[in-house]
Amino acid sequence: MSRKGHDAGQPAVLDYRAVRKQFGSFTALAGVSMQVHRTEVVCLIGPSGSGKSTLLRCTNGLETIDGGEILLDGAALPRDPRGMRAMRRRMGMVFQNFELFPHKTALGNVASGPLTVLRLSRDEAEQRAAALLEKVGLADKAASYPSNLSGGQQQRVAIARALAMQPEVMLFDEPTSALDPETIGEVLNVMKTLAEEGMTMVVVTHEMSFARRVADQVVVFERGQIIEQGPPEQIFDAPLVERTRDFLSHLGWAG
Amino acid sequence: MELDFSPLFESWRFLLGGVGLTLLLSLLTVLCSLVLGGAVGLARIYGPAWLRAPLVFYIDSMRAVPVLVVLVWTYFALPIITGVALPPFWAALVALTAHVGAYVAEIVRAGLTSVRPGQTRAALALGMSQAQAVRDIILPQAVVRMLPAFGSVISVAIKDTAIATVIAVPEYMNRSQTVAGESFHPIEVFLTAMAVYFIILFPVTRAVDMVYARLAHLGRS
Amino acid sequence: MNLDWSVVWANAGPLAQGTALTVVLAVATMAIAIPGGILLALMRLSGSRLLSGASASFTELFRNLPLILVIYAAYYIMPITLDVAFSPFVTGLVALSLNVAAYNGETFRAGIASIRKGQSEAALALGMSRWQTMRDIVLPQAVRRVLPVLASTWVSLFKDTSLVSVIAVSELAYTSMRIRSQTFRVLEMLTAMAVIYWALGYPQAKLVDWMNRRFGVSE
Repeated sequence: MSRKGHDAGQPAVLDYRAVRKQFGSFTALAGVSMQVHRTEVVCLIGPSGSGKSTLLRCTNGLETIDGGEILLDGAALPRDPRGMRAMRRRMGMVFQNFELFPHKTALGNVASGPLTVLRLSRDEAEQRAAALLEKVGLADKAASYPSNLSGGQQQRVAIARALAMQPEVMLFDEPTSALDPETIGEVLNVMKTLAEEGMTMVVVTHEMSFARRVADQVVVFERGQIIEQGPPEQIFDAPLVERTRDFLSHLGWAG
Repeated sequence: MELDFSPLFESWRFLLGGVGLTLLLSLLTVLCSLVLGGAVGLARIYGPAWLRAPLVFYIDSMRAVPVLVVLVWTYFALPIITGVALPPFWAALVALTAHVGAYVAEIVRAGLTSVRPGQTRAALALGMSQAQAVRDIILPQAVVRMLPAFGSVISVAIKDTAIATVIAVPEYMNRSQTVAGESFHPIEVFLTAMAVYFIILFPVTRAVDMVYARLAHLGRS
Repeated sequence: MNLDWSVVWANAGPLAQGTALTVVLAVATMAIAIPGGILLALMRLSGSRLLSGASASFTELFRNLPLILVIYAAYYIMPITLDVAFSPFVTGLVALSLNVAAYNGETFRAGIASIRKGQSEAALALGMSRWQTMRDIVLPQAVRRVLPVLASTWVSLFKDTSLVSVIAVSELAYTSMRIRSQTFRVLEMLTAMAVIYWALGYPQAKLVDWMNRRFGVSE
């Protein structure tokens, strides 16, 4: 059960300060504060509707926050469209439903960011894409369309697509929730490799053993607030907060 | 550009008569085409096999030939064959019913086939006859699904009555042309016509949307 | 009943020309009405109240007017307001284009809206602009969805071209009826007109059926 050593002295890449978000009368985030340091893997866990995914989507501007601040490398997230686009290039996002573009091949999908956003030449973009597909173990599927790929394969392509932008932070929104049990492993392995290479990752997940093994920090959400955060040993083996214990036991987590 | 609507005020009774005829022709067309189209649609699914080909031919022919052509042929050519000359209004009714009826038949067919086959199986398993199953189980569900399309049937019928002007049916379009020609103020006359037709048509589509929203849950199986 | 069908063959030339003009009219209308429809759909889906309202009003207006009236209105209004003499062909083209663009606008709007939100989110998350997202990700998928509906609209358009005969555009309907008036061969010419439309329209309708089967939406 090794986890790469993490130095808490690293600067905070993402700094959430009292972040609030409302959807009409529903409070999704009720003042969330936390930090993500460079090369850290932070796993967000908690019951459905507790705000984890919302926080992630606020991070890259897919949702706007109603209060508080989110800082990327010390600077507040921009609100203007140009600034938001520039900010999104620095963050990669992987979705629960993969959201591969069905009208492009795997190679086309991975190359779409570099081609359209970074304006690389087609050759450069495809070279980069091919290398990344190799990295996630799908070099032989480069010419396949998403409809011909399994869920696990599609998600790995989606990870490669996000990596093609060379982001500073990778955001994962329940990356394995829509997968068959057999294919979950192949995706988690890719994510583990990324973590070992030093990528800063924020992962919303229900895969507790992944969090246990790979995370540097685990943050527990409930009803829009953080009820506990700390290293995995604390959260999973000796939680300080009663409700954390309840949540984990509901999941059948025996430690 | 100055607009002078006075010819309209002078001829308003004449034009209103046209509106009345438009509404009458539309209503009769809708009713007759619902009957014809309903019968054809049902016969196509539940009728004898030999009937299917002629019915499909009828439906597809009406999809291929413009309303104008059917109207003109019914009024000018049909009497030569049958020896019976239909007055413009009735010729228009026959032509429009034939044309819109095919459209209704397609809607009926789509509605009937959209009800899950399991529904028929369940009805028959209870001991119902085919006729009972269709009448009590399938049709009610199918009708709800057809409702939004029926709204467009009414809309299409009203718009098609305007084409009847070419065979001299004195409906609103025709009378507008008359007033436009006599008064030398075609712009005002046709602007008014556009407003009148819009006022007639707009609520029809809105009303059907609302009815469907109310009843939609009855159609889901 | 004394029929002389030779009049049809004798006038094969003009009838063919009329048919050609019908096709040209339909093609030209679609060439205008497809980009027009996309524009209307994008306006409707934009965040701007003004653009959205303008698009919705345009669509509602032309979907609630008989096309024959639009044709007559265009015939009288266009020369006066724009101070230019238009040929009947152009007038007919304008009327048809406005009408079909309105229907296409609704078709494209529904097609675009049916593309899952997650697709545009994935594109935005990569840093694409809204425009790039629409151009590279949403529209290509939407086009596939709307193809069968556009095919249906085409078939209707083809039939509707017959209506511009009322302003003396020499397409198939006008030509047929003109020959009828000249030769007094009513049954022969009108039947020939119906048969020609049928021969052109029937395969088109079957093609639409095939497209619906082939491109039927499977989510």
